[in-house]
Amino acid sequence: MSTMTLTQDRAERAQTKRHSRLGQSTGWITLAKVFGVVALAMIYIPLLWLAVMSFAASPLSGVPFPLTLDNYRQLGGDGRWLPPLWTSVWLSGLVALVCMLIATVVGRSITRMRRPGGVILLTLLPLFVPGLTTGAALFIFLRTILELKLGIWSIFLGQLVWALPFCMLLILVIASRFDLRLLEAAEDLGASPWRRFWDIEMPILRPGIFGAGIFGFLLSFNELPRSLFLRGLETTLPIYNWAMAASQQSQVPIIFSLTTIILAVTLPVMGAFFWVLFVKLDKS
Amino acid sequence: MLSDPIDSPTSAPTRRPSSPAPTQPILEVIDATHAYDGVVALENVTVTAAPGEFLTILGESGSGKTTLLRLISGLEKPYRIGALRLGGVDVREVPAFLRDCTTVFQNYALFPHLTVGANVEYGLKVRGIAAAERRTRARQALELVQLADMYDRKIHQLSGGQRQRVALARALVPQPAILLLDEPLGALDEKLRVDMQVELLELQKRLGMTFIYITHSQEEALTMSDRIILMRKGKIEQEGPPTTIFDRPVSSFAARFMGVENCFDAELTGVSGSDALIRVGDHHLIGRWSGRKPPKAGAKVAVGIRAERLRLARAAPTGPDLNVLPCRGGGAIYKGKYLDRAVETDVAPMKARIWDASAADGEPSCVWWRKDDCIVMEP
Repeated sequence: MSTMTLTQDRAERAQTKRHSRLGQSTGWITLAKVFGVVALAMIYIPLLWLAVMSFAASPLSGVPFPLTLDNYRQLGGDGRWLPPLWTSVWLSGLVALVCMLIATVVGRSITRMRRPGGVILLTLLPLFVPGLTTGAALFIFLRTILELKLGIWSIFLGQLVWALPFCMLLILVIASRFDLRLLEAAEDLGASPWRRFWDIEMPILRPGIFGAGIFGFLLSFNELPRSLFLRGLETTLPIYNWAMAASQQSQVPIIFSLTTIILAVTLPVMGAFFWVLFVKLDKS
Repeated sequence: MLSDPIDSPTSAPTRRPSSPAPTQPILEVIDATHAYDGVVALENVTVTAAPGEFLTILGESGSGKTTLLRLISGLEKPYRIGALRLGGVDVREVPAFLRDCTTVFQNYALFPHLTVGANVEYGLKVRGIAAAERRTRARQALELVQLADMYDRKIHQLSGGQRQRVALARALVPQPAILLLDEPLGALDEKLRVDMQVELLELQKRLGMTFIYITHSQEEALTMSDRIILMRKGKIEQEGPPTTIFDRPVSSFAARFMGVENCFDAELTGVSGSDALIRVGDHHLIGRWSGRKPPKAGAKVAVGIRAERLRLARAAPTGPDLNVLPCRGGGAIYKGKYLDRAVETDVAPMKARIWDASAADGEPSCVWWRKDDCIVMEP
């Protein structure tokens, strides 16, 4: 008897709240799970396959066997990839640092504007400009119009233009939720402008600032189309990889091992970084 | 007659006399004017406070009371000001972080990334006080607001009432000359608010600190203040001790704000001593003038009588100082402690408060009140 009333009850509720039922029905959940699994597989299987193939005797054949460490040995014997790696690391570090700085300074000012809409649009618009377009445009502007000699500095500039909007976005998300009244409270308690920023605003914006740094680094480290135009005679790791993969068939196995090493180092480092940023610091 | 301690001024606890008159005021705001985007928020407002005084600024939202507080704290720079002195020192050009006053904000504005202890210590930290002393003093302040064991908690773990206390402790710790409180109890529920009123008052007495307290609640103002400043549209409507504001409002605005239930317009026909003779339609009444300026015969005036001062009767009483109007009985509203009885008169609909519910039986034929309870004031 009680079960009867219960089901009746449920049916009535289902009729009045059809929308909420739609989101909870098992069909949708299954579909979501399938899509999720497919998406994750699409991301990780090629990466794993790359790692496996870096141990293959002839990676381009598509067959991993026989397994060998030859590719890594060859990579160890060949020092040509080290200077581009070094260039990429410090360049991306610099891009990340400058991005953090500019995005923080500009982002927190934008949230204090009375009508920030136009400025935000202008700031974020470069996100939608294709990389080759930016690269070509900067090349023409710097090389042809200003007649400057391109080099690391112009790669830096192109990558900064590329990474900055992303960093701005991250800062803006956090900064727009920041309650400016907290700064008034700090001021009222006797904090100088610098103390107010350092003690109150910066710690609260910190996830956004660090996030901007991480994304600035990653975007710069992987950047190719703009760097190609703006490199002058310099070579970054993506340029090196691309040049090797595109021109010299015999070098491809080395690329497999190189990207695998980079992946093996970056993923855990980034994972640890995010953990510290969003789990550890949040709890303390 | 029974009397509610909150509603009745006569039963209010005797207050300690305000500090002796000749001492220098700790706060002087002279002729302050301020506007936001062309809308005037404050107009030629002058406020002074004596050391150790509990001064309440009372007004509805938009009356300029928060603006006044922000001018004092320095978070807002006045458009024009004659003088602004804290403890006799001109602070017009002193930024907020160097002024010797702190604020308990309406929304508390506690730092969400810091612990309770770090929040309370912050005012000392920016003054460069050593960590050990900071900790001791913060603990003392937390003890004062009965949160001694909350030192290491995070702000989001606290209830509304606890947050309010932390905000209070944080503002008290630097031992400012003046504590500014911006509707600090507004977000609390009824019971907690009444408790906190008492606690705040005791704290203020114990510390001897000057409190400038902002509220829109006349009940809060009456309970706590040494002196009340009633504001209206950026100007001071009336200023004085709670009993004065409660018993002798100067205008119909002040009267309504202070909870005078029966207000109507009348014409002043004459004045004799403190008595004001008035006429409403064909009825002649007598009351006491309480406006700011001396009244002129023929002027339009407002009349106010508190519901608890009105009596209903079946037969008209007689006496030299009594006002009597015939009336017809209307509905009654049960309020728990008392009964509000609505009656119709030729002058206006009125509300009489009956404390003894059993006396409410029957149809009254007239309503009467004493001359002294009939406030005649500016419209």
